[in-house]
Amino acid sequence: MADSYLSFKEIDRTVLSTLEPATRRYWTAVVLLAGGVMLGAACWAYQIATGIGVGGQNNPVAWGTYLINFVFWVGIAHSGTLISAILHLFRAGWRNPIARAAETMTVFAVCTAGLFPFIHLGRPWMVYYMIPVPTQRTLWPNFQSPLMFDVVAISTYLTVSSLFWYTGMLPDLAIIRDRAPEGSIRKKIFTILALGWTGAHEQWRHYARTYLFFAALATPLVISVHSVVSWDFALGVVPGWHTTIFAPYFVAGAIHSGLAMVLTLMIPLRRIFKYERIITVTVLENVAKTIIFTGLIVAFAYGTEFFIAWYSHNAAEAAIFKWRPTGDYRIGFWIMVVCNTLVPLLFFFRKIRTSLGWLFGISILVNIGMWFERFVIIITSVAHDFIPYAWGNYAPTLVEFGIMVGSFSLFFLLFILFVKHMPSVSMTEMKELTHPGGQEHG
Amino acid sequence: MGKRFVMGLFENENAAVAAVAAVTEKAWNVEKTHSPIPSSALAEALKLKKSRVGYFTLAGGIFGFFFGFVLAGFTATRWDLIVSGKPIVALVPFFIVGFEFTILFAVFGNIIGMLTQARLPNWKRDRFYDERCSGEHFGVLASCPEGEEKNLAGLLTAHGGEVTVHDA
Repeated sequence: MADSYLSFKEIDRTVLSTLEPATRRYWTAVVLLAGGVMLGAACWAYQIATGIGVGGQNNPVAWGTYLINFVFWVGIAHSGTLISAILHLFRAGWRNPIARAAETMTVFAVCTAGLFPFIHLGRPWMVYYMIPVPTQRTLWPNFQSPLMFDVVAISTYLTVSSLFWYTGMLPDLAIIRDRAPEGSIRKKIFTILALGWTGAHEQWRHYARTYLFFAALATPLVISVHSVVSWDFALGVVPGWHTTIFAPYFVAGAIHSGLAMVLTLMIPLRRIFKYERIITVTVLENVAKTIIFTGLIVAFAYGTEFFIAWYSHNAAEAAIFKWRPTGDYRIGFWIMVVCNTLVPLLFFFRKIRTSLGWLFGISILVNIGMWFERFVIIITSVAHDFIPYAWGNYAPTLVEFGIMVGSFSLFFLLFILFVKHMPSVSMTEMKELTHPGGQEHG
Repeated sequence: MGKRFVMGLFENENAAVAAVAAVTEKAWNVEKTHSPIPSSALAEALKLKKSRVGYFTLAGGIFGFFFGFVLAGFTATRWDLIVSGKPIVALVPFFIVGFEFTILFAVFGNIIGMLTQARLPNWKRDRFYDERCSGEHFGVLASCPEGEEKNLAGLLTAHGGEVTVHDA
């Protein structure tokens, strides 16, 4: 929980001080990340000019890092909604200090994820085939396809999470407007963005209700989105994919990776912006405890996959699950198992889950493990399909690595631009938390 | 007889709630309150009714469900081609589309509900609004007939308010 002795004034002062003009180190980081984005953009441009063959995807592995990164970033997006919507409904007060940054992470992660289907298309201008408008051949999208479920689910998720994020920011935007010097550009910008919010009782009455409904709607949405992503695989009759546990398995994995990313972002943010009294160690500890829980679910899912392969007596299924831990991609498999299921168990030790160094280190390992989970799921299943003579391996090319660096740079660039120019902690929700007898909005 | 407005700024919620109760007891009007956080105590003192935003949300959700279902069915019947042995109008996969559109349009309804009910955006400057109310103060704007403003201001001051008297 945040420091309950924080006054409203101190909360405002702490958060508003983060909007002061940036230092040279900040702009250096911005330039470096922008360089990474340019590298990714250049690789993508090269791929468009030369052809999709510059990536490593080929028969039989037609889905490579582009799809791995797509699933990875959609997964990262999930814990933002878990923290802002689901924990809001459960009235878990510890989520208030980190809710804004987690929502921001959600929006930017979905934006980053959304780029990958375009990149994977090879000819991105053909994307209009997936939009429900008649083409010149009056050919409409086929909504029976899980790829079309994906288009609908991801665009809904991006729209809903962006609106939820902006609505949650309204009272904070008004605070910045009211503290900005008269006649300044900041005052003008935030006057427009705040939409005329004054905290009048009539505004709060409708706002609180709206926020509650937002949380109630975002909760089933977040579960549906990663379920839909899992059906991109589970609806294909491919060993290692065609299983009914994929939806809950993917949702748990998404929250696992997202929570780890929350720690990866919050620990430096807390130090740089001097948020120690707002994002307390207890808050980070609660995230770590939730990671233990999601890690156990993920471990159970890994075990269940092997059990199904054995119990079903399906030869193809058994073969793929024998190959994963022992075959060409065994290193990826063991990174996945160790980082996602064993390493988070260290959080059972209080000393570890209250140490910032350990928290940060373990969060990075879980991120790596979750990236490899998507690698193992996507690559191994199609690399060793039903017919042995059609087997083939896959390795990402430099172009794919360049695009991956670009995607990570884009995500972190958007995040650091946001936290320096907008309120990275919800001042209003912090006030609700420290206010004796105060209610949460909604 | 003209109307006078008195704004009282309070440093805590309890004082603002007590002031609202005292003003209404004296048969003066509480025109508006401003607070940095949503206050259930203030809402109770003002006897606010439940917001009707939910009706907009519900309407949006119902529209979205049918819209998603009809859209998927319509596009499928434009090209009567059986794919993967599924019927042309396949209820199970279309339910997913219907579900996603339910959430999407319910959220649109929710936003429209909030904007219309809370009258946002409203960039016209509220002359009674004190910018400290977005930070740490609770503002109570009360009105009274001309000539009674001193009594009203006195009442708000007695409850710990910092008072400003405005003309109509």
